[in-house]
Amino acid sequence: MFGALTILYSPKFARVIAYMLQATEYSITAYIRWFWRTEDFRRIIYRKDLVLTRPSRLILRTLQLGMFLQIVTAIVLGIWSTHHHTSIFLPLAVALLLITPIFWAHLITIPLLLGRYLIIKPYYAFEVWKSRKLFTEHRATRIAVGGSYGKTSMKEILLTVLSEGKKTAATPANKNVSISHARFAQSLEGDEEILIIEFGEGAPGDVKKFTSYTKPHIGVITGLAPAHLDKYKTVEKAGRDIFSLADYLKDQNVYVNAESSETKPFLKSAFHLYSYQGVDRWVVSNLKQSIEGVKFVLSNGKTKIDLRSRLIGNHQVGPLALAAVLGLELGLSAEEVKAGVAKTEPFEHRMEPKQLSGGWLIDDTYNGNIEGMKAGLTLLKELPAKRKVYITPGLVDQGKNSVAIHEELGKAITKANPDLVVLIKHSVTDDIVRGINDGNYKGELRIESDPLDFYTNLKHFMATGDLVLMQNDWADNYN
Amino acid sequence: MKTVAVIFGGRSAEHDVSIITALASIIKPLELTNQYRVEAVYIAKDGSWYWDDRLKDISLYQSGEIEDFMRKAPKVHLLFDNGLMLVKSSQFAGRKMYRKVDIVFPATHGTYGEDGTLMGLLEMANVPYVGCNFRVSAVAMDKALAKKIIVYSGIKSTPWVSFYSNELSKPKSVLESIKKLSYPLFVKPAHLGSSIGISRVESEKELMNALEVAAHYDDKVIVEEEVKNLIELTLPIMGNDDPIPALLERPLTKPEDFFDFDTKYMQGGKKGSGKGTKGSQGYSELPAKIPKDLYDKAEKTALEAYKTLGCSGIARIDLLVNSKTKDVFFNEVNPLPGGLYAHNWQKAGISSVELVNKLIGYAEDKWRDKQKIATSFSTNYLKQF
Repeated sequence: MFGALTILYSPKFARVIAYMLQATEYSITAYIRWFWRTEDFRRIIYRKDLVLTRPSRLILRTLQLGMFLQIVTAIVLGIWSTHHHTSIFLPLAVALLLITPIFWAHLITIPLLLGRYLIIKPYYAFEVWKSRKLFTEHRATRIAVGGSYGKTSMKEILLTVLSEGKKTAATPANKNVSISHARFAQSLEGDEEILIIEFGEGAPGDVKKFTSYTKPHIGVITGLAPAHLDKYKTVEKAGRDIFSLADYLKDQNVYVNAESSETKPFLKSAFHLYSYQGVDRWVVSNLKQSIEGVKFVLSNGKTKIDLRSRLIGNHQVGPLALAAVLGLELGLSAEEVKAGVAKTEPFEHRMEPKQLSGGWLIDDTYNGNIEGMKAGLTLLKELPAKRKVYITPGLVDQGKNSVAIHEELGKAITKANPDLVVLIKHSVTDDIVRGINDGNYKGELRIESDPLDFYTNLKHFMATGDLVLMQNDWADNYN
Repeated sequence: MKTVAVIFGGRSAEHDVSIITALASIIKPLELTNQYRVEAVYIAKDGSWYWDDRLKDISLYQSGEIEDFMRKAPKVHLLFDNGLMLVKSSQFAGRKMYRKVDIVFPATHGTYGEDGTLMGLLEMANVPYVGCNFRVSAVAMDKALAKKIIVYSGIKSTPWVSFYSNELSKPKSVLESIKKLSYPLFVKPAHLGSSIGISRVESEKELMNALEVAAHYDDKVIVEEEVKNLIELTLPIMGNDDPIPALLERPLTKPEDFFDFDTKYMQGGKKGSGKGTKGSQGYSELPAKIPKDLYDKAEKTALEAYKTLGCSGIARIDLLVNSKTKDVFFNEVNPLPGGLYAHNWQKAGISSVELVNKLIGYAEDKWRDKQKIATSFSTNYLKQF
């Protein structure tokens, strides 16, 4: 208790505040929630530390200087009131001293809010306005990729496959909001034949806004699952926003992942469905998966294409088949499609197989939704291994459905039946355990309270023949 | 939660190897099990005992701060009070700290530890401990004695002679006995591991120097014939009555370039042909790529040797194989393999955490079995006196 209080008055506290702001991407609401949720500020900077950028350095210095001046003022006032026997100022000096950390932790948000509304938002709006013209005048075929999950993977698959025959550009990494789209438009050379734009929805109306300036020709909806429910409240509302992409396209050239059950209420007959079974008339057969990737045959009548990818998991087959079909429709030859699919490989932290201590570790720590988690668990169940281990802290931002979703996750874990389940202790742990117990799990269950320590020492738990699936990794601000 | 005391360091030339074994291969995995309270008990080079959590930090030894630590830290006393108890001064008001030990995990290599002396102490305390008992450890640590037992049970071993170091003051009889062996020869201290003090001798003129080197480290020296068309193999084994083998491992060295201490521990095994995987003791082929019939024969020989010597818990059997004749020779047994040979167990499908857990289990089984043995016998001898 005493230790937890001392950090409030230590020079390190300014750094903790600056880190919390940076980790929440300067979202004042998320920061304030995190601040008041925190019981011990010593545990904040643990796994990661403040990255000194221009804004973070400015915030840090402002906090340090402001807090220092307030403490000095309080001390001077205290000494002065003692010397002059003006007892009225002594409580004021004490109060000034005591409130320093809390006062500055909140005061710092005011310039940020002012900066956001007076400078950043107008600047971003201007940049987005400029990008509308750039997108409209660009002659490339524009493919928008939206959905609650699997967007970045879908975009990367499309980029890899289509680049084999066409000059293709895509929004970088997981940069998928308005300002990222605007910067992407500015970076274009003008002679691209295909543009792929990832739509990162976060609040109602986002997708409609994205379509208004990117003006896509083709829409891909990768799936629907509970995500960003803090803003959307329900999956249905999120679905309405995501499917506004189809509205913009007048239901034409819309490709939807049929493996996502939540999309069903939104499906229309004009949509093209893709799944591990195929796309439209293209049928997937001879599907085989291993830790080294997937291979399958994509056929349409007498046309057959043997495809092989280093992406792992049967859930990757649908997106691969779609990329192949879109490639053919956009003018790639079968050979180019085949070569493109062969170049697809696991993305960092997304079903990425790694060797550790002689065993296989599948790093799926960027997976943050129940559908993706279930896909991973299916893979864990299907791949052969001497011993199977599953590690997760659970999911964030699941709104009021969090309990049900985590119980569902627990049941999915039981179905995969790993020999060992390791849950990283969080607020949702009990819900997962309940789901596991309901499923009558017979293996070993461990609950680890220190993820950093556990991940660092994972090599000691692994041996040849082991298959370890690690899903999701909570950012510090969710702790 | 049971308390496991990991004892390491010791009055041995392999003191530093022991620190690595304890800290990297035993203490860390034991703590990761979340099942034990792990106490680090360090025996300094002068034989003093210390017990402190700070002793779990490798930087203490690397930085040399251990000297400062030992100057300030209280030494540990042992109390045999229905088991083993660690006792040290708390340095406040004359109070003492006590810690009852449930299981001991010895991590000492070489003399005054791996040779059975520590195990004898633990037997006296009647506390469960990991690894071979004091009798096996003592035999295993005497290469000549181990070979005698092995050969007696029908397992092959290379021709050898052994003698005590003080016999070198009048070397004539020693040199005479060596004459019956064919060169090249290996000259080794009989009780040391980690390849300390070992020399390969190709002719008689190199012999005396090699004998003196070996005698410098030990009071007993063994001289053995070299195996032709040599394949060196080693097999870690664990278990009590039904031992489990790990994988046969082949150190990738040439006969003229055998593992010495420097190659094994200091150069990361860079000497030798340098192919294969880098294990805890240098480059090796894991599992050894030898014909299946030879693999099976070698594995069987090692398991027989393990049982013949009465090993329990864990040990590593070293073999020498003539690749042309397919003769498999017992070379030596190591009752506490460096780093527990965790890299080999890992390759065999047993993680470091699983390994230490199993070894604790074997220690408890062995101790329980021992409690069934009667240690008292009623007589009227005293009354008759």
